[in-house]
Amino acid sequence: MSATGALKRVFDWKVRGVRWVEIIGLVLVAAMIFSVYLAKAAAAGEGARIASLERQITENGQRVRLLRAEAARLEQPGRLEALSRMAGLAPVDVHRQATEASLPDLAPIPDPQPVVIVAPTIPAAPAPAPAPAQGAQ
Amino acid sequence: MSVHDPQAWDRPAPGHPGRVSLPSWRWLSEAMWRIEHSFGRARADARPEEDTRVRIFVILSLFSAVFVCLALGAANAALLAPRGGIGSIGQPNAVARADVVDRNGALLATNIVHYGLYIDPAEVWDRRAAAAQIKRVLPRVSMAKLDRVLSGDRRLIVLPGLTPGEKAAVHALALGGVTFEPEDRRVYPLGASATHVLGAADTGGQGISGAELAFNREIREAGLRGDSFPLSIDLRVQGVLENELARAVAESQAKGAVGIITDVQTGEVLGMASWPTTDGLNRATSAHYEMGSVFKTFTVAAGLDTGRADMNTLFDASQAFMIGNRRITDFHATNQVLTLEEVYLHSSNIGTSRLAVEMGPATMRDYFGRLGLLDAAPIELHESARPRRPTKWDDSTLASLSFGYGIMITPLQMSAAMGALTNGGRYIPLTLRKGGLPGAEVRQVVSPETSLTLLDLLRRNVVRGSGGRADAPGLRVGGKTGSANKLVNGRYDPTHAVGSFAAVFPADGPVNARRYSILILIDEPGGYPRTGGFVAAPAVGRIADRIAPFLGVQRRADQYRTALGEKIPAFEDVEGDGR
Repeated sequence: MSATGALKRVFDWKVRGVRWVEIIGLVLVAAMIFSVYLAKAAAAGEGARIASLERQITENGQRVRLLRAEAARLEQPGRLEALSRMAGLAPVDVHRQATEASLPDLAPIPDPQPVVIVAPTIPAAPAPAPAPAQGAQ
Repeated sequence: MSVHDPQAWDRPAPGHPGRVSLPSWRWLSEAMWRIEHSFGRARADARPEEDTRVRIFVILSLFSAVFVCLALGAANAALLAPRGGIGSIGQPNAVARADVVDRNGALLATNIVHYGLYIDPAEVWDRRAAAAQIKRVLPRVSMAKLDRVLSGDRRLIVLPGLTPGEKAAVHALALGGVTFEPEDRRVYPLGASATHVLGAADTGGQGISGAELAFNREIREAGLRGDSFPLSIDLRVQGVLENELARAVAESQAKGAVGIITDVQTGEVLGMASWPTTDGLNRATSAHYEMGSVFKTFTVAAGLDTGRADMNTLFDASQAFMIGNRRITDFHATNQVLTLEEVYLHSSNIGTSRLAVEMGPATMRDYFGRLGLLDAAPIELHESARPRRPTKWDDSTLASLSFGYGIMITPLQMSAAMGALTNGGRYIPLTLRKGGLPGAEVRQVVSPETSLTLLDLLRRNVVRGSGGRADAPGLRVGGKTGSANKLVNGRYDPTHAVGSFAAVFPADGPVNARRYSILILIDEPGGYPRTGGFVAAPAVGRIADRIAPFLGVQRRADQYRTALGEKIPAFEDVEGDGR
């Protein structure tokens, strides 16, 4: 009974004829609306940033495609062959090809030379340096 | 006081059927009237406050229900919104058609944004100067069109498809009234290279020929995902094939040429070229040829596989083979009894005709059918044409078929059949898909033993027979020449010839070893000699020599040649005519 009474008292607590409960409710609603506004504004900002980044990716992608196409055009096999032939290049003759395994046959690994330890020799005394020219004017 | 009946509007006029009132409508109207009259009823019952309470409760319930729905919807949108949905416009690299790349990722076809040039004449100050300036930086624009647009009264397109470079040049003129509209265009940066394989796509983004048409749906789907679409083509191999084909054509002054390189174990096409490249016809898929002696491989294969003959079976080629009034002779008559191997190496028409007639039409037809010679080559390309088959299968036809006359097939069919004979006898449909066709229907054509015997025979033909010019040092090339005359005005005209060479390398090793087939066909060589051994075989040798490093084929000695191509025993071209 007392709990109901306390609740009723809180409910009837008024300021200038307006219930406090209603004022608090209004304030809470306003706070919620404001926070939702903030969240939405932030999301819109993020969305715009994402869209801008994706647009940049698309533009860069198009530029990459353009450059790749240009590279492919320059690297056409027919063009490269014509340029190589003009430069005097040709497919390597079979007699001038070698695999890694055949390298020892082509250039045998030299036997290690016996190591000879030579006794250090005492260098002869250096010749006296010529006297600087005097009076060279 | 009115005597007007308030419900008369709803009453049907006499002689006219009334509106049919559904039970639900009647219930709704009755409920509304009941609520409407409830004030009166409540006042009549002296319980006015009861009625008000009910009304408030009803309205409260309605509003609560609406708010609960809104709250649930908002919570759903906030918590369970689709991922990436906020601010995202989807896959940023999506295009209408994916890039087509070769098996190693080299670009073959791509979409590039081009620009349409629009001019609004109302905003142009000096029309004559503007026209002159635009023509100077954009020489391909039509002056007549430019003048027409400039003298008009509204904004019109002058030229579609400006490249980004051209757009920049026109833009740099800083002319008023000149604007650009982006348009997506399909670009083939390799120009004429692989043009027949790739085909083309229209400006609406739909494939109209070649791989663009064959894989249209998949290329579009890959484009939406931002992926590229790989083909089985190896651009390096394709490049060598095209360059060597062009060289062979130049040397032989031919009218046309075809080159196909495939992986015989997977059916993948690594290179396919048709010359001239300016011709819209893909001769590899759509042109028909009587192939000539290359068909002797099929006849011999059938003879070996049925057990009708082995390498030492003797055939009397000492005199012409008569079928009715028809006299079949050899190009270079040996006038002796030959073994099957000699029949093949000498390319004896008499020997293969005798073998074909002995086997009979049912066997020949069965083997030709299994080798895919009687149907269009199975490949994704829509251009793959059906062969021209013989109408009757009598002895004379069998003899003609045995050495490659009387049936016109496409080079692609020949390539597929040669692959089947050199991979252990399995006919694998050719494909342009990287990695081979998933779930391809493979059929056994000949036994693996026959396949091994044929590989050795093909190799011997290069070492001892007519294909000597196709040998590449250490790459164990095997193959068969083909030379045929074309039917011109009802006669086989020796000045209109087709020279071909169907090769495989390396020809040694087990049946399932990695192996590649090369087919070169020279259409109407202008010089002399016109036989396959002279016009096509040298190109095969050069191609094998150049593509072996790309394909990972090591140079190695076999029983006939050293790794550097020197002879082990003194073998030589038994005829010396390259036929």
